[in-house]
Amino acid sequence: MKIRPALTVLTCAVALALSGCNLVGGSPDSGNATDKVTVTVALVPDPPGASQFYRQQFDEFEKANPGIAVKVLENPSDQQLNAVELMFQQNNAPDIFRAQDDGMDRMAARGWVAPLDEFVTPEFLKRFPEGSMDPATSGLHRDGKLMSLPLVWGPWSTLRVFLYNEDLLKKSGFSAPPKTWSELERTATKVTADGKGKYFGYAPTAAKAVGVEMLADTAVPYSVPAAGIDYRTGKPATSSPGLVEAVELNRRMQAAKVMMPGWESWDGSRAFKEFAAGRLAMYPTPPWHVAEVRKLAPEIKMGITGLPVPDAGRGAYLPLTKSFSPLWSMSSKSEHKAESWKVMDFLSSESFHSAYYKKFGTLTALEGAWKAEAEKNPDQAAILKVAEETMRRAPNPALASTGGRAVTDALAAKPDLKHTDAAFSSIIKNQPFAPVAAKLDKDLQAYLDKTSADLKAKGKEGSAKDLTFAGWDPLKDYTPGG
Amino acid sequence: MTTTVERPLAKAPVAATRSRRPGRFRKHLWSYLFLVPLVLLFGGFTVWPMIASWWYAFFNWDGVGSPTDWVGLANFREVLGADAFWRAFWHSFAFSLAAIFIEMPLALVMAILLNSSWLRFRNLYRLVLFLPVVATTAVIGIVIAILLDPAGGLVNRILLDTGLVDQPVNFLGSTSTALPTLLSIDVWKGFGITLIYWLAALQTVPKDLQEAAAIDGAGFWRALRFVTLPVVTPIAIVILLLVFQRSLNTFDLVRAVTEGGPDYATDVVPTYIYRYAFDPSLQAPRYGFASAAGVVFGLLTLVVTLLQAPFLKRRLSGGKA
Repeated sequence: MKIRPALTVLTCAVALALSGCNLVGGSPDSGNATDKVTVTVALVPDPPGASQFYRQQFDEFEKANPGIAVKVLENPSDQQLNAVELMFQQNNAPDIFRAQDDGMDRMAARGWVAPLDEFVTPEFLKRFPEGSMDPATSGLHRDGKLMSLPLVWGPWSTLRVFLYNEDLLKKSGFSAPPKTWSELERTATKVTADGKGKYFGYAPTAAKAVGVEMLADTAVPYSVPAAGIDYRTGKPATSSPGLVEAVELNRRMQAAKVMMPGWESWDGSRAFKEFAAGRLAMYPTPPWHVAEVRKLAPEIKMGITGLPVPDAGRGAYLPLTKSFSPLWSMSSKSEHKAESWKVMDFLSSESFHSAYYKKFGTLTALEGAWKAEAEKNPDQAAILKVAEETMRRAPNPALASTGGRAVTDALAAKPDLKHTDAAFSSIIKNQPFAPVAAKLDKDLQAYLDKTSADLKAKGKEGSAKDLTFAGWDPLKDYTPGG
Repeated sequence: MTTTVERPLAKAPVAATRSRRPGRFRKHLWSYLFLVPLVLLFGGFTVWPMIASWWYAFFNWDGVGSPTDWVGLANFREVLGADAFWRAFWHSFAFSLAAIFIEMPLALVMAILLNSSWLRFRNLYRLVLFLPVVATTAVIGIVIAILLDPAGGLVNRILLDTGLVDQPVNFLGSTSTALPTLLSIDVWKGFGITLIYWLAALQTVPKDLQEAAAIDGAGFWRALRFVTLPVVTPIAIVILLLVFQRSLNTFDLVRAVTEGGPDYATDVVPTYIYRYAFDPSLQAPRYGFASAAGVVFGLLTLVVTLLQAPFLKRRLSGGKA
């Protein structure tokens, strides 16, 4: 019978230990900050240095708003969506979270995004460039409701620039960057040969077919590399000559060992490191690489220009399909919506955007925060010039109609029908791309037909018609309904 | 304490048979109590996810809320018909073959060497060989990528400088070399733990048997053939199963070094499953499909393990005889 007291002691010990765990793991705010509201923000530590930057900014915010404490939760970029989803499922959702583009749609589809319209004032909207917050084209609205706020400048997400090392090109006798694909091939070949293994002429931005996609955007409507569909016809078009030639160009350079070896396994940051180290002479890239190169090699003679175009001439411009990319969303489950809005308002303030621009060199959504300064900065002025010269407004079926959204979502769920894997495989295995592209088109058409039938059976809208913008000329600005 | 457990035992003969069980239960109560955390954790983190994944495999489910879209065997049909799954399976299997046919014999040879009493600094060698086991895979991934870089990596510089190759070898970027490179790294990384298994096995060989063999005039090879190996055979079977299971589930190394690329040349089943369950580029994760892939992989592993059973049984009984 002596076991009973022992059991009692054990039970007490377990209870004490568990309550200890609770104390240790409990919210630090629950005990001592009864008059403060804590707003939780889930974000990613990207770009490098963002962790410290956000903390400093939120410290400033807390000073100005003594009743609000901002708690930052960081997740690795590629884990952010899954982590936030898990938080929602555990009834522990953040008040504000970072979810870009499709990620925001994924969260909104689950009913986890709160519309912001009740908080937005005309003064708030005036911070953004005129007309950019139009619900039909902002990129931030869904079904007419404002669901997200942006961080970066509208063209930033889809702009692509071509970086070249002036010194390396000069060493091989080139005084200007290549303007066409043939010039690119010739220049890269010569530079690689002259580099004798110490430096190389060209490399795609990262593994997979990112580089192909960038070059193809100058040859075919953006929707072809992005989704496999030509939005002028609503039909699969992976086998478009422009896309096929972009793959073949890369294949030839790979087979001739012109491209920097090892790019096949590069991550997203390797290209700018190699470029900054003077081992890579040219590559196409999103504009954020410019600031990273400059950080690593302040003195490098870096040229920034538009992407080379097909020899037959430009077939398309880079797309501007919406005013902004969504980034900051408020949780529909937040119990502190008013306070959360104050934090979101701060994240959309000129002071925050100005600080972000100064820290990372990123052109942000509030042009007033950086425009004057950027025009005086040679790198950023060059980026602005490339954007001006190489981007045009383009149709966006996801914003144009409910059916368009349904079909583009369905296409996004089938990445294996995109050219990406097949193009990369063709390049590294030195196999022709055209036959594979033709098969992809066939499979894509079958999938489109099935998707339309499935949607129809469920009484929903969505067909190839919603992907068709017959009057669109990819060499001109697109006007909805025009 | 002793008194506490003896009392019920003393009562047992006079109590009815019915009361013996509670008595025995009381006797072992502490043992059961100490088992509770293990049972709870094992049930919660191993048994339950396994059973749940079998259930989820029958749904088209994105991991949010309860699964409701029942699709029957459709996910299984898709897995079994997917070339990418089978490619990943064969790659996983290649890791096992490399571990069984390269790592295990090499580790045995090294263990025999390190078990020799005449060898000086044995413990130092053991430590050095065991270090890769405890090294973080992510760090290994970064270091290996730097060392093997075709543009200026140390390995390629040595190969070029010594004239062994006239072009840098694209170890991780070529579809023909990426998998063998990863297999080699996996063998190197797992070598230490297999070595420890073998050393433990070798230390079970009774000294008197070895001495008897020596007195009977058996040399090193004959003693190895007729004394050491027969004694360690039953343990070797356990080592074989452990190594097989570990290598078949290689994930972190692939994820850290190649992420399954280039062109899925190093994709293994765990990375294949991970992609469908967690890839942020998917508009909605396919937990149901990923679960089905996991179930199929589990069943295939079971089949491959069972295929070894008759052979292992024979060896085991031979070893005992």
